Amino acid sequence: MTPTVSASGLSLHYGRTRALDDVSLRLTPGVTGLLGPNGAGKTTLLRVLATAVPADRGAFTVLGHDPATSRGRQEVRRRLGYLPQTPGFHPDFTAFEFVDYVAILKELAGRGERHREVRRVLDEVGLRDVRGRRIRKLSGGMRQRVALAAALVGDPGFLVLDEPTVGLDPEQRMRFRELIAGAGEGRTVLLSTHQTEDVAMLCHRVVVMARGAVRFDGTPAELTARAGGRVWSSAGRDPGAKAGWRTGGGSFRNVGDPPAGAELAEPTLEDGYLLVLDGDGDTAEVAA
Amino acid sequence: MSDVDGWHVAEGDLRDYARGELAVPLLWSADAHLTGCAHCRGVLAELSDPAALDAGWERLDAELDAPRPGWFEGLLVRCGVGDGTARLLAATPVLRRSWFGAVAAVLVTTFLVAFSAGAVERPALFLALAPLLPLAGVAVAYGPVMDPTYEMAVVAPVHGFRLLMIRTVAVLVVALGVNGLASLAMPGYGLTALAWLLPGLALTTAGLALTPRLGPVGGPVAVGAVWVALLVLASAERGAGAPLAPFTAAGQGVSAGLVLVGAGFLFVFRDRFDVLGRGAV
Repeated sequence: MTPTVSASGLSLHYGRTRALDDVSLRLTPGVTGLLGPNGAGKTTLLRVLATAVPADRGAFTVLGHDPATSRGRQEVRRRLGYLPQTPGFHPDFTAFEFVDYVAILKELAGRGERHREVRRVLDEVGLRDVRGRRIRKLSGGMRQRVALAAALVGDPGFLVLDEPTVGLDPEQRMRFRELIAGAGEGRTVLLSTHQTEDVAMLCHRVVVMARGAVRFDGTPAELTARAGGRVWSSAGRDPGAKAGWRTGGGSFRNVGDPPAGAELAEPTLEDGYLLVLDGDGDTAEVAA
Repeated sequence: MSDVDGWHVAEGDLRDYARGELAVPLLWSADAHLTGCAHCRGVLAELSDPAALDAGWERLDAELDAPRPGWFEGLLVRCGVGDGTARLLAATPVLRRSWFGAVAAVLVTTFLVAFSAGAVERPALFLALAPLLPLAGVAVAYGPVMDPTYEMAVVAPVHGFRLLMIRTVAVLVVALGVNGLASLAMPGYGLTALAWLLPGLALTTAGLALTPRLGPVGGPVAVGAVWVALLVLASAERGAGAPLAPFTAAGQGVSAGLVLVGAGFLFVFRDRFDVLGRGAV
């Protein structure tokens, strides 16, 4: 299958900080999850692939276009949907006006055609009934859906979503996951997240980053399999474990190299993620 | 707007409407009127072929569904600005604040100049401050600090430099217009009262040229600081009764040269406005 995104050797430094370190990956249609702790380089990678920030080294193409040239960057942007980590809004705009504004930025010509597209994407994210409401009066979940609608304007072939479920309550998160799953049908979605649940429920593929580098690239099942035979339960925290936490049942769940005779447990995606990080991440960030 | 007051859409306008060629704001009037006027709907039906009529109703439905533009956006459209450009300008509330700020600053300066005995012969205060207004307006019209959708705008196909220029021109039209009116309010100074124009353009161009390196606020602030320092220096060195150096013929020539150099620099490095500035990352 021809990849939508093909990147090789991407590196980026901010002063002496190495934000991206020789990142290579290929993205195909469907939802790819990008997991990693804070400071792993997820947002930087997303900004580079979204053409917001140029890499110091390396190259990539999106849908066959090379963003290193002005013309190529323009072509990529015409096929790109981007939801930044903290999407900004003009609070006095209504949902319709805001998405219309983004449609103008996306060069949708003609008022009639543009408004048809705005109505389509607002319908797609379930905001038809509140399209005339001011953004400052919308809930956090609704605002996030407005931002997703804006990203979907123009039916982009490559959709970049930077932690879209952060700050949403469980019900809103489920609703948002449904929307992302729908958006991933027939297009390539790169979803940055802290939540292994998001990856387990949505993604056909997962990339784990730490310290600016790719630590794992494969299917969620392969990431889970990394923890096969390396998860065990114990009455207390095992000092030899790479990570351990108390479960709801009172026992401790440990990941690492189990001692002889340990009571092995069924591995999860989260266990595989912790082992791939191998001390590079702040394990407290991972929901237990 | 209805049968009640006897007004109807002109037949020519209805014909244009049926062909989809009626332009705003007449299009909006026709849309609003047709929903409440059976007579005009009947005339429209006679003028239209069925397929075009269906398209027209679909368009009408879409128009009714779309929000009416706010007063500011509507004003821009009525002034001849395209509806897309008007939305791009309306999406920067801080732009309006900068305009109001420019008006207030010019009024205050004019008042001070007009009523200051020492300034009657030389409008130095006005000339010193007037060039800073467009510079300040441009500084707050674009960039991550002032535009909440900056990151979305940067990755949009609309070129960042074009967006910057649209907002810059909007700022300049208002700021230079207000300064110009203030100059007219001081007829006693003659052409001297317009000596702010070239320095104003030079400062704005220099501020924009430094933006990729120092950021959309840092660039104009640095240029503004240099301008103030230059005025202080010029003030200390000038002879009694002589104008400040930037407002002499030579100073105006230097300003014009700076405008040209800055414009060339902006054109050559326009792609630098097409990605996030390091300060925004």
